[in-house]
Amino acid sequence: MLELRDVSAGYGEGDVVRGVSLTLAANETLCIIGPNGCGKTTLLKAIANLLPFRGDILLHGKPLRSMNPQAIARSVALLSQSSGVYFSYSVEETVMMGRYAHRTGLWGQPSRQDREVVERCLAAVDLLPEKSREISRLSGGQLQRVFLARTLAQDPEIILLDEPTNHLDFKYQAELIHYLRRWRKQEGRSVIGVLHDVNLALSLADRVMLMREGQAVALGPTAETLTRSALRQVFQADVAGYMLDTLRRWEEVAE
Amino acid sequence: MTLRAKEWLAVGLSAAALLLGVGVGSVWIPPGDVVGILGHKLFHTALPGGITDISVNILWKLRMPRALLAFLVGAGLSASGAVMQSVLKNPLASSYTLGVSSGASLGAALVIFLGISLPGLSLFTLPVMGFVFGLGTILLAMAVASRLDGRMENNTVILIGIVFSLFTNAVTMLMSALAKEQMQQLIFWQMGSFSMKDWSAVLILAPITMTGIVLMVRCHRELDMMTFGEEQAQSMGVPLKRMKWFMLILTAALTGSAVAFAGIIGFVDLIAPHVARKLFGSSHRRMVPMAAMIGGLFMVLCDLLARTVLSPQELPVGVVTALIGGPFFAYVYFRRRTGRSA
Repeated sequence: MLELRDVSAGYGEGDVVRGVSLTLAANETLCIIGPNGCGKTTLLKAIANLLPFRGDILLHGKPLRSMNPQAIARSVALLSQSSGVYFSYSVEETVMMGRYAHRTGLWGQPSRQDREVVERCLAAVDLLPEKSREISRLSGGQLQRVFLARTLAQDPEIILLDEPTNHLDFKYQAELIHYLRRWRKQEGRSVIGVLHDVNLALSLADRVMLMREGQAVALGPTAETLTRSALRQVFQADVAGYMLDTLRRWEEVAE
Repeated sequence: MTLRAKEWLAVGLSAAALLLGVGVGSVWIPPGDVVGILGHKLFHTALPGGITDISVNILWKLRMPRALLAFLVGAGLSASGAVMQSVLKNPLASSYTLGVSSGASLGAALVIFLGISLPGLSLFTLPVMGFVFGLGTILLAMAVASRLDGRMENNTVILIGIVFSLFTNAVTMLMSALAKEQMQQLIFWQMGSFSMKDWSAVLILAPITMTGIVLMVRCHRELDMMTFGEEQAQSMGVPLKRMKWFMLILTAALTGSAVAFAGIIGFVDLIAPHVARKLFGSSHRRMVPMAAMIGGLFMVLCDLLARTVLSPQELPVGVVTALIGGPFFAYVYFRRRTGRSA
């Protein structure tokens, strides 16, 4: 469904991502793992067509470059880490924005189908009762759920996750992953995730890609690729050892 | 109160402000007479008894174009301010920030100091040059911003705008320093005024302002999404760069034409959008026309004060908007913040 061929991208001062190739099948979740500055987010931005890139990115065999922004948005949606809200909208208005790429007509009034999709997406993240509330009055976790609902309302084939659980309490992180998993199971769509937390990636991914200094160093099924030695090589630290040590301590903690 | 009721209230208050704006002055024309004269002029109804020709002339030739011009200028500046704040994701942004007013001032200074008169335009030379220089400055600033930063990020746009604004201001000041005799005329123009304006100004400004506002409302969904940030908007399908250029040109044209006819009038473009957002929510479909309505209403009342408080002397309307608008804005803004934190 999605294919990257020798993709390089950056911000004008040399490439941050260098020669990455990968394919993503329908109904598959791929997590990209690597240390800060290794190019994970840059790669996601290239896939979302937010950054100029070299090489080829193909969606169903069609070059991303040849598609207009609305056509891309109907196939690929991006959920980033929650940013501040400058001007407040209602929950429903915010989620309705996800329908932009699907709406037609001169004044773009929402159709009955748009309203139905928005209701369904609000229900999918358990926010239907809150639909009239102002988003400036929501907690960080609720706000991120609104943004997830907006991403789902885009009805994309692929959701790109750019560290969406950053700055969220553990409860909200778990919630967000729960809603995302449920959606994936129901709709059978694909996800490419950049998650800072290796544990979250482990719980979500069918396949993982390990990145270091802008290049893919390993790509394969999670269980085979996310090995202790591979993590050590990528992070230059014994990540798995640290996790096991922490787990042992938790086992000693009383209920 | 429902949103619909608030909208009708805003329309009603605007009509009342216009009635007041044309009725109050050295000669008081009661609202009933105002309606009678307007009916006579617009629909050729019989003029009610007791209305003198002087009242008709004062209302139709002096106060009506003046009040309408004030309304249009307030509406255009406020709608532009609302859009700029959203496009640049900055609640303090306006097209003034990006150099429209300083560019227009430079154009006006050239006309005043060099005694330029464009062929066939005579009295309109000053507004035309103000418009051309205002628009020219922002377009030049954006071209440079686009060249330096292909993605035209907000910070680049604002910084380049400020650089251009300061630079053109400096050129105007240099000219003022070299030609002190005409300095007063320029300062008066810069302070803003609606005096000595006739119907021709209204007939030119009305289509520009109305078309601009309609086009802004037409793009309400894109503007809504842009308030969440450039990447978010783009990932939802907004053709970001094209939309940004379109909005910058639109706001510059609206602000430039307003400045050209009335001089530099600050604050309304900052206040009206904030009040509109507070009363009607952030959705641009409703907020932009309501910001325009509130801005128009505010400007008519400010102009009324400007010409009556120290009558027969007239105050620059820009001074009145800042004197009233500053404290009012602080009250509205900080009351909300303290209310929230309480």
